[in-house]
Amino acid sequence: MMPIVLMTLFGFMFPTVGTSNPYSGKIATPYTHIPVGIVVEDGGKLAYNVADQFKQISSSMGLLDVREFASFGSAREEIVKGRLKGVVVIPSGFTESLASNRQATITVTMDDTSAQLASTAYSEISMILNMISERLSHTIIANLTPSTDTSYVIEPISVERKSLIAGTTSTFEFLAPGFMALTIVMGTLSGLGAAIAREKEQGTMDGILVAPVSSYAIIAGKVTAQTIRAMMQASIILGIAMAFFGVRIYGSPLLMMLVMILGIASFIGIGIIATCMAAEQETAMTLLMLLQIPSMFICNIVFPIEQLPNWLQTIGKALPLYYAADGLRKVIVLNANLSQISFDLTILLLYSIVTLGIAIPIFRRSLTR
Amino acid sequence: MAMNSVIVAKNLTKRFNGFTAVDRVNLEVGEGEIFGFLGPNGAGKSTTIRMLCTLTKPSEGTATVGGYDIVKQAEHVRRVIGLVAEKLILYPYLTGAENLRFFGRLYGLREEELEKRVEELLDMVLLTRFKDFPVGGYSSGMRQRLNIVRGLIHDPKILFLDEPTTMLDPQSVRFIRDLIKELKNQGKTIILTTHIMEEAEELSDRVGIIDHGKIIAADTPENLKRKHGCSSLHEVFLELTGRTLRDSVSNSIPMRRVVGRI
Repeated sequence: MMPIVLMTLFGFMFPTVGTSNPYSGKIATPYTHIPVGIVVEDGGKLAYNVADQFKQISSSMGLLDVREFASFGSAREEIVKGRLKGVVVIPSGFTESLASNRQATITVTMDDTSAQLASTAYSEISMILNMISERLSHTIIANLTPSTDTSYVIEPISVERKSLIAGTTSTFEFLAPGFMALTIVMGTLSGLGAAIAREKEQGTMDGILVAPVSSYAIIAGKVTAQTIRAMMQASIILGIAMAFFGVRIYGSPLLMMLVMILGIASFIGIGIIATCMAAEQETAMTLLMLLQIPSMFICNIVFPIEQLPNWLQTIGKALPLYYAADGLRKVIVLNANLSQISFDLTILLLYSIVTLGIAIPIFRRSLTR
Repeated sequence: MAMNSVIVAKNLTKRFNGFTAVDRVNLEVGEGEIFGFLGPNGAGKSTTIRMLCTLTKPSEGTATVGGYDIVKQAEHVRRVIGLVAEKLILYPYLTGAENLRFFGRLYGLREEELEKRVEELLDMVLLTRFKDFPVGGYSSGMRQRLNIVRGLIHDPKILFLDEPTTMLDPQSVRFIRDLIKELKNQGKTIILTTHIMEEAEELSDRVGIIDHGKIIAADTPENLKRKHGCSSLHEVFLELTGRTLRDSVSNSIPMRRVVGRI
C-alpha cells in the first residue's frame, strides 16, 4: 500500500516539465506563476518604461505573476504574509543615473523562508532584467560618445539582490521550521495513541476509569502530557538547526510557541479519533502513517509546495500541517507579528475545534463500551 | 436476607454484537460479607464485575452498588468501590509509593492525609522497605500485594477482587488470603472472583455460580454441599457446570492485515 502511495507522489513531485531549452519558450523549472511585486520609487519616465517591460516579458513567459505596489513596505508585508515571493524595486535616482550616463541599480528582495524557490525566482527575475538592460545597451551604443563609462554601456542596469533578514540564508531556514511542525504533528499523533493503548494494555486505564475522575480530565491530562513532549522534541530540532546550521530565530519565541500549541491542538483530535476507531493499536498506527508520510511531502515541509501540480497543492493546503509549518517559518525567519500570521492561526484553530469536537465524544464513549 | 444489601442487581444483561455475555442476572450481596463469584472461563463473571464497577454499561437491567445506581450515579459508585483487577493496575516505571500516591490523588487525597494513608497501606502489606523501588523490579507476589492496597487507597466500603491469588507462590497466597479475612473484619464487603474452589470455600460467606451468563446457584458453601451431596465446593462446581472442557475459538478477530502492509 505504502510504496504505491509514495511512488505516485514522487512522480508528481519531480515532474519532467519543460526539460527542453529555454529558447523554445518552454520553462526549465517546475515553478510557474510565481507571485512577484514591483515598486517604482523613481518618478522618471525611463523607470516606468523599465517596469512596463518587466511586466510584459514576465507575463509573456508565464514564469512570474507581477503586481505593482506603491511602496516597498506594502510589498514587504505581502512577502511576510506569504502572498509574494519577491519584490523588484526601481529606486529613486534610477532615471537620473541613466540620464547622466551612469550605471543604474535595481534591487531585488526575495522571500528567504524558501531558499530553493527564492533562488529559482531570483534567477528568472535577473534574467528578465538583464534582457531589458541589454535592449537599453543597444540604444546607448547607437548614441555612443568617447567619454561614456563602459559599465554604463555594457550593463546599464545592474541587479542587486537583497534579503529581508540579515546574513546569508540557506535551505535550513526552510527545512528547520518545516521539520519542527512535522515533529510536533507526528509526535502527538503517534504519542497519544501509544500512550492510551499502553494504559489499556497494561490495565492501568481501568484503575483511572474506576476512580471518580471525569473523562474530560483524562483527555486533558493526556493531551497536556503529549503537548509538552512534542514541544520538547521541536525545541531539540530547533536547537540543532541553530547550533549547526546557522538558523536564527528572528521572531518572538512566544508567538512561535503559540503556533506550535495550535498546531498540536489541530492534530490531536485526529490522533484520538484514529486510536478510538481502530480495533488495534497497530491498525491505528498504520492509518496514521498513511496520513503522515504523504503530508510530509505535500505540506511544504521537505520542498516548496509550488513544485507540485495544482491539485496536489490544493490537498496539501487543506491539511493543518501546511499552516503550522507556514506559521512557524514566518515567525522564525521573517519575524512576522500576530496579525501577519492570523490566517494560519485561524485555520489551525478551526481544525482544532472541529477535530476535537468530534474526537472528545468518541473518546468518552470508547471508555465505557 | 437479614443483612443490608450493598449490591443489588436486577435482570442485569450485557450483549456484545448479538452475543449475550450476561443474561438477566439477579444478585444480592450483604454488607460485610465475602461473596465468592465463581464460574468457568467466559461464563460472564468479568463482564458482570465490570458493569458493577461502572466500567461497562449494561444493555438491560439495573443494579445499585452501595445504594447508588451504576449508570445514573456512576460517580458516587466509584467513590465507594475499590477494584483489584486481574491485570495489575500499576505503573512499572513508578515506585511503589508513587503508584499509591498517583491513584490517591485521583480520589482527591492530598498531602498529609495521602502520605499517612500510603505509609499505612505499605505497612499493611510489608512493602515499606521497598516503597522507593520501581514496581517493575518487584516479584509477582510483591506486585499483587501492592495491587491490592492500591484498590484500598480511598478506604472503600466495597472491594472487588478479581483472581487475587492466581500464579502466586504458597506464601503469597497465604498472606493474601489472611489479608482478605482481615479486610472483612474491618467491615468491608468483598466480591471475590476465583477459579480456586478451596479458596472460595475458605473465604466466602456465600458463593454465586454463573454459567452461560446466568446465575445457576447462590448460597453458602455448606448449603450447596449439602444440597448436592458433595464433599467439597469443587465437586459442587463440577456438578453444576459440567465436566466438559470449555474450548472455544472466537471468530471476532479483526481483519487488521488488510491495511497492515507497510
